[in-house]
Amino acid sequence: MCGIAGVVFKDKKLHPVGDIMTRMLDALQHRGPDSAGFSIYGGLGLAEHEYLLNIEVKERPGILEQVKQAVNSVTPIKKEEVIPSVENYNIYRCKIDLNSFEELKPLIMDIDKLDDVIVLNGSHSFEMIKDVGLVKEIADRYDTYSKMGTHAIGHTRFSTESIVDRYHAHPFQSYITPDITLVHNGQITNYWKIRDPLERKGHIFETNNDTECIVHYIADKLHEGYKLEEALEQSVKDMDGPFSYIVGTPNGVGIAKDQLGLRPGVLAENDEVFAIASEEVSLRAVMDTHDIDQISPGESRAYTI
Amino acid sequence: MQEIEIDANSMVPRDLNRAIKQAAKEYDRIIIKNPNAMHYMVAGLTDEVEIVIDGSAGYFAGTMIDGAKIHITENAGWFPADNMTGGEVIIDGAAGDGVGQGIYGGTVVVRRNVGSRTGEIMKNGTIIIGGNSGFMSGLFMMGGRIIVLGDISDDAGESIIRGTIYVLGNIKSLGKNAKIEEINDNDKMELKELLPAYGFQLDDGKYSDFKKIVPRSKRPFYGSKDSEEG
Repeated sequence: MCGIAGVVFKDKKLHPVGDIMTRMLDALQHRGPDSAGFSIYGGLGLAEHEYLLNIEVKERPGILEQVKQAVNSVTPIKKEEVIPSVENYNIYRCKIDLNSFEELKPLIMDIDKLDDVIVLNGSHSFEMIKDVGLVKEIADRYDTYSKMGTHAIGHTRFSTESIVDRYHAHPFQSYITPDITLVHNGQITNYWKIRDPLERKGHIFETNNDTECIVHYIADKLHEGYKLEEALEQSVKDMDGPFSYIVGTPNGVGIAKDQLGLRPGVLAENDEVFAIASEEVSLRAVMDTHDIDQISPGESRAYTI
Repeated sequence: MQEIEIDANSMVPRDLNRAIKQAAKEYDRIIIKNPNAMHYMVAGLTDEVEIVIDGSAGYFAGTMIDGAKIHITENAGWFPADNMTGGEVIIDGAAGDGVGQGIYGGTVVVRRNVGSRTGEIMKNGTIIIGGNSGFMSGLFMMGGRIIVLGDISDDAGESIIRGTIYVLGNIKSLGKNAKIEEINDNDKMELKELLPAYGFQLDDGKYSDFKKIVPRSKRPFYGSKDSEEG
């Protein structure tokens, strides 16, 4: 089933979007208990060439040192932190400098070669938090309540075709263009038809998960010069299957829904906030409004700041 | 009138519905406070009791009720009044997809816009939409009537077999087996009796503006000869 949510503050200022998204996702907990995740944009405050790596590391002797060595061999670690997770895993987070965004994906692929290590993501303008378990457990583990930002997207997962682990928790990220993430409720039934041309263009797929396919598709369109609204509109024409998904970019969020309207999506907006979600109960965590719009079949909506 | 309030704030749907069924044996009117768009509220209630949901409801509000009168003071999610056999579900705000899905009887009223597939596979009963109704409204409709006071979106009456859809606004497109017929005096009289009873006051002349969507054939899939109809 899965629950999806997104929120943007129109004034471009920092707001407690971590706390807000936690409440939005907690209200959607019944739509999926397997994992949950957040992309919180605008609050990281990194300098121009700084990036944050988010790495899952199994708890066994020596492995964390290997990770640090792999990172340090490319660029010195500027700041680091270890967050204990569950099932004998830790999340290692480090801040690094890179000359350009193009160096990020090769570095991630190098680190991924280590046994029992998976890079969950690398980012510049947003913080990704995703883990297995319930929203409140994850929120406590990573203190999402204190995270500030301009906008955010989030997900509660009811897994259908992929395994339940941290990497397959949403959001998924693409590195075709910087800091594009996506959360999804549904299935893409023409998956290979979408994936093939993207792979022929040289884009790298890490999984067979359809959500990864959508985020690469959207990132590819943005890279080609489409606006977010245009990329979403085109995606609805190109994708088959039941779906609704929310995209996060460095300057906004957007939602798209399949042409038969087989997955839910609702929207509420006022002068301060643009909010989208699977259900009204999630929107009520952001604003007190009676004015709820249903996203129509085949419709896409976006708000950029 | 015996009235009771139930605070749904810390309840799960199963506990709330159990409390409603218990209260329905002793009270005439049950007010549900803090519903917070919970799913499955008032599922399967067969007592003729008045229920006020003081706020928004989630999915399947009033599913399979028989006789209860439910008033939702804000919005509802997908499938309100699903498969009800009798009673009333009145929604003051908007609603999601599948309003009145599969109903056998009773009346569903939504004062604002609704999502897609309104009244899909409904067998009888009445659905009134004060605003617009979305894609494939009346999908596989098998009886009853839908009245839309706003616009109706693409593929209206898709694969409709029996029943009628009245539309005051624009019809974006018709679905397979649907056609538009002229509204007649009996239709107008029926609507004039029905709509004011649910608070929809129209000027007399407006009733002539309704369009009526009906099936082309009663057997659209298994042969179209007259002898095979019905």
